Amino acid sequence: MSPVHFIAIPLFAAFLIPLVGKVSKNLVKLIPGIVFLYLSYVAITLFPIGIHKPIVEIIAGFKAPFGISLYYGPLAAFLTTMITLIGFVIWLYSYKFIIREPIEKYYMLFMMLITGSTGIVLTGDVFNLFVFLEITAIAAYSLTAFLRDKDGAEAAFKYLLIGSFSSTFVLLAIVLLYANVHTLNMADIATKISSVPLTTRIFILILFLMGLGIESEMFPLNGWAPDAYSQAPSPVGAVFGGIVVKASIYALMRLIYLMFEFQSVMHFLVIMGVITMLIAEMSAMRQQQIKRMLAFSSIGQMGLVIIAFGVGTEPSVRAALFQMFNHALIKSLLFFAAGYLVFHSGSKKISALDGLGHDKPITSFFFAFGALAIIGLPPFSGFWSKLYVLLSVANSGLFAAVALILFSSVVEAIYYLRVVSRLYFNTEVATDVRRTPVSGLVAMGILTLVILFVGFYPNLVLHWMTPAANELLNKAAYIKAGLFH
Amino acid sequence: MNINWLSVLGIITTPIIAFIVGVTYGGLTRRITARIQNRYGPPSSQNLLDIIKLYSKETSIQHGVMQHLGPVFAITASITTLYFIPVIKNSVVFTNLSFNGDLIFLLYIMVFGSLGMALGAGQTGNPNAAIGVSRGLSQMVGYEIPFVLSLVAIMTQFHTTSLTDLLAVQKHFADWIIFQSPLAFIAGILAFLGMMGYAPFDVVIAPAEIASGPPSEFGGKYLALMMTSRSIFTFAKLVLFTDIFLGGASDFITLIIKTFLLYMIPVLTGIVFPRFRTEQSICFFWKWPLVFGVLAILVVVL
Amino acid sequence: MISIPYILLIAFAGALLSFVIHHIAPKLRTPVALLTTVLLLYFVWALPANSLINIKIGDFILTWGTTAYGQLFGMLVAVLGFFTVLYSTDFMASKERLGYFYMNFLFVIGGMLGIVYSQDFISLFFFWEIMTWSSFMLVIYCCKDAQSIGLKYFVFSAIGAYSILIGIVLLYSSMGTLQFKNIFGHINEISTGIKISVIILMIIGFGVKSALMPLHVWAPDAYAVSPSPFTALFSGALSKMGIFGIGLVLFKLAAHTGFYSYVQYTLAWIGGITALLATFYAIAQTDAKKLLAYSSIGQLGYIIVGLAIGTPLSIAAALFLAILHAIFKSMLFMATGAVYMRTGTTNMTEVSGLIRKMPISFVTALFGIITVAGVPPLGGFAAKWMLYESLIQSGHYFLVIVIFAASTAAFLYLFRYIFSLFLGQEEKEWENVKEVPWTMQIPMILMTIFVLVIGVFPGLLLDPISSAMQYLNVKPFDYQMSVLFNNWGGKVDMQIVVRSIAAVFILLGIFITIKGYRNTRYVTTKDIHTSGEIPTENENLTYAVDFYKPFERSIAPLLKASIDKVYTLTGDIFEQAFDYLRYVYTGNGQTYAMYVVLFLAILLLFSELIFGIIL
Repeated sequence: MSPVHFIAIPLFAAFLIPLVGKVSKNLVKLIPGIVFLYLSYVAITLFPIGIHKPIVEIIAGFKAPFGISLYYGPLAAFLTTMITLIGFVIWLYSYKFIIREPIEKYYMLFMMLITGSTGIVLTGDVFNLFVFLEITAIAAYSLTAFLRDKDGAEAAFKYLLIGSFSSTFVLLAIVLLYANVHTLNMADIATKISSVPLTTRIFILILFLMGLGIESEMFPLNGWAPDAYSQAPSPVGAVFGGIVVKASIYALMRLIYLMFEFQSVMHFLVIMGVITMLIAEMSAMRQQQIKRMLAFSSIGQMGLVIIAFGVGTEPSVRAALFQMFNHALIKSLLFFAAGYLVFHSGSKKISALDGLGHDKPITSFFFAFGALAIIGLPPFSGFWSKLYVLLSVANSGLFAAVALILFSSVVEAIYYLRVVSRLYFNTEVATDVRRTPVSGLVAMGILTLVILFVGFYPNLVLHWMTPAANELLNKAAYIKAGLFH
Repeated sequence: MNINWLSVLGIITTPIIAFIVGVTYGGLTRRITARIQNRYGPPSSQNLLDIIKLYSKETSIQHGVMQHLGPVFAITASITTLYFIPVIKNSVVFTNLSFNGDLIFLLYIMVFGSLGMALGAGQTGNPNAAIGVSRGLSQMVGYEIPFVLSLVAIMTQFHTTSLTDLLAVQKHFADWIIFQSPLAFIAGILAFLGMMGYAPFDVVIAPAEIASGPPSEFGGKYLALMMTSRSIFTFAKLVLFTDIFLGGASDFITLIIKTFLLYMIPVLTGIVFPRFRTEQSICFFWKWPLVFGVLAILVVVL
Repeated sequence: MISIPYILLIAFAGALLSFVIHHIAPKLRTPVALLTTVLLLYFVWALPANSLINIKIGDFILTWGTTAYGQLFGMLVAVLGFFTVLYSTDFMASKERLGYFYMNFLFVIGGMLGIVYSQDFISLFFFWEIMTWSSFMLVIYCCKDAQSIGLKYFVFSAIGAYSILIGIVLLYSSMGTLQFKNIFGHINEISTGIKISVIILMIIGFGVKSALMPLHVWAPDAYAVSPSPFTALFSGALSKMGIFGIGLVLFKLAAHTGFYSYVQYTLAWIGGITALLATFYAIAQTDAKKLLAYSSIGQLGYIIVGLAIGTPLSIAAALFLAILHAIFKSMLFMATGAVYMRTGTTNMTEVSGLIRKMPISFVTALFGIITVAGVPPLGGFAAKWMLYESLIQSGHYFLVIVIFAASTAAFLYLFRYIFSLFLGQEEKEWENVKEVPWTMQIPMILMTIFVLVIGVFPGLLLDPISSAMQYLNVKPFDYQMSVLFNNWGGKVDMQIVVRSIAAVFILLGIFITIKGYRNTRYVTTKDIHTSGEIPTENENLTYAVDFYKPFERSIAPLLKASIDKVYTLTGDIFEQAFDYLRYVYTGNGQTYAMYVVLFLAILLLFSELIFGIIL
């Protein structure tokens, strides 16, 4: 068993889908499910190994630092498992939700996106990182415009516009890096980066910050996000929030921790995180559309993750990873629920949701559940991760950040609970005879159970978080494993 | 169980004495008022005769159980209040239960009756009664504040909340609290004006406006019991003030003199003043009496 | 078998079960909820005094244990929980979404039990938040109007909870532990600045729940709109969680610090002013539930005064009042709920003269108001007495006046409450009103008996209170089963008081009943003295509107000032600002591209400032 399956299998599926599409549409729908089941099997097999000792996989026979390598350590193990889980529920949800043709293209792009994301997480050299980023990004642009309406096209165009900046910056940074250290292997770069003049290093850092900051929704580079989230089909919102952004922030943090671990960079990250969070939460407060609101909330949550990464201590990195995990689950749940709420109410407006809780009690329940969880109320999993973030931030003495995080939590509570109370306590609307499909409900049910279970038993996830956080922080071990495995 | 027969005697006789004294004072008041207003006035036994007449009436009407019990509440409070006040200093017979309660307790037991009365009046359904109660309670908030200020000043000064102890510190004429703590006395006596409910603080019954207010639906045995209660309560309040400020009394003659003089203060004030409006009355108590009370406390504390 | 995890398990499992069963077998949901509370009552009652359990969650060790202090409040929650659920069985019978109702109801109870048994701050906060959101769910249960009210409640709660959280975070970052046993008594190991912040933040946090002014603005509306059984629990038990927390903070944290006296003094005055102003506001209300809500705020003010004064007698008074307030305010809310159930309104200007229709509710309300007023011989007197004595004897001369003014003014609203609903004209509109079913009567009757018994034997309640005070490291105070003592040698013997009152009352009661019994007749409230004019059928003889106009006139400036407006204004300003802010996201791709370029330019230009290095 090899971690390369995480990349190869979805990629293979992506090529297979258009071909199968010629034969049977129903088969197309099943393929991603099979892929995810297989990936789960891979994840389960590899997880216990990778968590203890990183697996370094050489592709095409050249040894590091020359060849292309995959690095499956605790962090990658955690993230690939998460992507598999989220991917699986997204497929389950899409199964009945995506009914508009061409579905084979949807699933193909989806598989491409999974390929790209797992690639980002697994790759051990920067050029491949760029390639996978591009794959992810292109799949993401196309998915944004999947509905082929005016708004979708506009959103995709904006995403493309900003995304091309991102690609340019990242490529430029890689070129500069290569020009200076003559290697693309990340572990190798880490050993040699100190020989690069400081100004160049900073310049490279700024380019990476810009490029990957765009993908990980850092303010003010996140202009694409609200439109893309809200115009793409609902499961795609979950894909963005749960997979794409998570992979991007991983890439950013991996590079920063590996190569640019200056104190000032960390401070910069905390400040940017706080600004991102505050502006996003405040903007979310006044949104009229539910999916836009969720998009802003996603940005806000990413701000929180960036803060925790910026603090840069072991507990805080662990908290950041935990928060990432919870956010991926909860935001997916919210997007799923919102998708059907929008579908049943026939409008994207929040005001159209009045009284839907009576008509569609289960979907509304899932939304309410997700809302409570994301605000960080016990006994849901969001509570623990927020608590861990706060405690770790406070342990570094950043009490102002603690206060601001809590302030934005209050704002968050207001706009989520507004929607929840609209769902249940406003005048009833005419009933919609269409029913929420079972596959969608099962997808939401799985997420709900995981959220609740992690809420009562956070150790389940936290247990694996410590080695993952250590991997990110322990540069020497990464270099050792990456170069001299 | 050994029963102290002297106490039993006190328990039985105190309310009777209080009633007789109170009702006589009431009668005298009417006469004095009349004389000042250049009328002849009724005989001073008139109030007693009225009460006897009311008791002897056979027919009574009531609007429900609360009205039925209202006067009982009132008289219970009056008699209980009396029991917890030492009527005659150092007397075995007339100290009654005063060792088992203190000034704070008295403050509360005194409103027990008003509350019962108010409930009884409330059930009658007469709007005038409700207005009267509303006024009475409002005014109570007015005068209770200076009253408590004065009590707090005294309690702090002598480090006791017990009436018996207060009596014990006023052994000689010069030790009377009226001399030891004159500011507290002024605050207290102004509050006392409100408490007695004579003009200008007679907003509760205000005969010309709301047809005597709360008691307007009571007649026969109910009114009789209420008037009895009122007489006893008047006496109780007088004894209380005498005990607090005027050194109490060692015998009945002194008691009568002191209480009568005290009683004349609201009565004579009432004759020369017209009625306040309710809010004026409240604001009155929150001005000068309040200032005196605060000064009294400040003097003690500093 | 009987241990804290089981108690919590029963509460939460019962909650979920009643929600699930609502959809499967609707008839069983109420028995399930009721059974849960009965089990809880038994388990809490039988809980061994030394239960202690550690549970590892994440990095934290959650410790749950019984203390005398926790058990005092735990019993309160369990008893009140049972009463209110029993009351709900008929009160809520015709309502919809009962699964939702009972689930959240039991969540609130479970959350509160969790709070009182918490022995570390993480568990405390965990259960605190559960209690908060489930109570929010119940506040918004009723109707559309409740939404903004519920949101206000939640926002204030969240602000409170997060102040507590910041306090917890500060403690953790400076002490590295959140166990009560490692923090209490070791507070002086941390720097003064952090100590002050922690104590202030926690008092603010707990103060929100106990509706301390100026953090009370959520309370009147939230109490008024939540369903009556829950209002009883809300005001009775939930607000006491704030008191519980303030007690812990004051005596376990602040008492060991150098600035304790300042904390005490400030808090006492805040409590006193809360009591006075809330009473004044209560007088001006026309809705019975709002009136009671303000009354609750006022009573909580007394309790805080008692805690803040910090003498043994005052703390005893505070805890006594805390328990008693839970009982009598539940009685009053239940009586109000009964009226609401039968008339459909709690507006005091509409309902009148229900005494003969609903005698049990009336008696409950009557005993309730007598207890609130603190008139002997009911339980309220003991609380008031201890409070005043301790205030005077600890030298708080002016505070005692404020408190006394508040409790005298309380007579006004209390009388208005009982007069408007039960006394006065018996209107034709309410002719067919009936007494409420027995399930609603039972809790009311039991609590009525309770306040009566506690009035005669305050010692029954002072026993657990004095052991709770031992836990709080407060010196013991002197009391007997029915005799209260003050520090200056004064005392009140409740048995003698009650006996004399009862003797006189019964004697004269018999007298007035027997005398002329045959000739005493009942007449309707239309048959009254109206100076010879006979009132017509539809003539309004009910005096209910602007009941205390003269009084309101004399305190007009106080009534006009409203902190609520300040909050609303602040909220509006924030919303406006947010609204402008969201135009950062213009929706224009070019603008976004410009942001990217600008940000790059800024990073490059100010890299020295940002990264400390010149490019």
